[in-house]
Amino acid sequence: MSVDELTKARSIADSAIATMQRYEIPTTPANYAIWYEYHAGQSPNLQRTIDVLISNNAAFNENTLQDLYATFVSSAKEAQAVREISTHALQTLQDIVGIAALARGDAEQFGNTLRGFASQGLGESLGNLKSLIETLVQESQNMAGRTEYVGLRMRESAGKIEALERNLESAILDSTLDGLTGVANRKSFDTIIRKSAGEAMNSGDELSMLMIDIDHFKKVNDTWGHQTGDIVLRHLAQTLQKAVRGGDHVARYGGEEFAIILPNTDGKAAVSVAENIRETLAKEPLVIELTPPITPTTVSIGAACYDPGEPLAEWVGRADAALYSAKRDGRDRVELN
Amino acid sequence: MVEIVLNSINTGADGGLAPNAIPGLCLLVDDSALVRKIARKIFSGLGFETDEAENGQIALEKCRGRMPDVVLLDWNMPVMDGLEFLKSLRHTDGGREPAVIFCTTETDVDHIQRALANGANEYLMKPFDQESLVAKLDMVYYRK
Repeated sequence: MSVDELTKARSIADSAIATMQRYEIPTTPANYAIWYEYHAGQSPNLQRTIDVLISNNAAFNENTLQDLYATFVSSAKEAQAVREISTHALQTLQDIVGIAALARGDAEQFGNTLRGFASQGLGESLGNLKSLIETLVQESQNMAGRTEYVGLRMRESAGKIEALERNLESAILDSTLDGLTGVANRKSFDTIIRKSAGEAMNSGDELSMLMIDIDHFKKVNDTWGHQTGDIVLRHLAQTLQKAVRGGDHVARYGGEEFAIILPNTDGKAAVSVAENIRETLAKEPLVIELTPPITPTTVSIGAACYDPGEPLAEWVGRADAALYSAKRDGRDRVELN
Repeated sequence: MVEIVLNSINTGADGGLAPNAIPGLCLLVDDSALVRKIARKIFSGLGFETDEAENGQIALEKCRGRMPDVVLLDWNMPVMDGLEFLKSLRHTDGGREPAVIFCTTETDVDHIQRALANGANEYLMKPFDQESLVAKLDMVYYRK
């Protein structure tokens, strides 16, 4: 490889790493291959598809990344033979990285190796790809050696691999859930709200949102400590889950704020759901013995019905404004905007 | 937003349309009357003439009668879906001309890739609003 080619490859690699960081994409070998191709500009179809995803603010989730890899990277005609081997190796590596991330956080080390490799300059030639794979395999073996959870024997034992795959799946599932409360996290809320609003725009069905905030939550933390604060958050999350129907979506929006997406629900019905939540909290308060005794949790709730064609941020803003009104007017109440 | 866009058309700042040019005819193809209504409002606001079709087959007939300049195209429709329409359109006389923007709730790589491979100029995910629609129009039409 000439000096010029090396410089070019290095700059592509740097761009790929930078883009992955920007969109919070895990630095697995397969993902790296996608973004290297994207920046190398050798695959116009990959580029156009990714540009569509970016321009629509779509999330680069696990499925999307897998599809990009399967559609554009692994099926590239050139280097088919090497890629077949590498796809297999990459898949195994991905599993190990996923499990290691789950168990130990060793993936960071792996990411560093990848970054180190990138800065050495990875060309498009087959020899380079091959040596990349070899280095990565070596590194992954080192990683596996350091982790009692992922032994070297894992690839020999089908049963073990199956168990590991289940763990991977649950890791993927977990990444959409809030660790403390078990409801959807903010990231998956953003996906849910888009999907629900898209369907409502097509069908013309009503769609509403509740924004729920715990009253005087700071006082809970200050008086009884953060552990109690966490218990209060979990109790509220459970109450919200019980108050909604199967197709509704409860999410932790941030701090002590929760959001619920209610399909097929107009503003008036959304207010009844909100009132029901308030009443349930009053009827079934959190029971824990503390000194001084803990004040029962109340919430303020803002409701807003989606107006198809309005920007989603505007809809969320209206629910937030209603929540603010509820707070301003004395808390422990529901406002519709 | 509308004013800004119209302004940039009229000045032709980035090699766009000539001064005072009429934005053209936009065909809105969607089985949802609500989607057509929202899109109609936006396109009319931009100065477009609009026509509507509730499935691909009706859209194709309309295109054979008078070729639009822009097509906003849903994917899932009864009788003839958006992709079938697009394939037929591109094989119709003058059918390579219109800027086609797919507009759908489908968000996966496979749909995007098939849309682009079959001649879609852009791809807009539902729900859309004025800003996101104009951004796509800017890519495929105003800058053409």
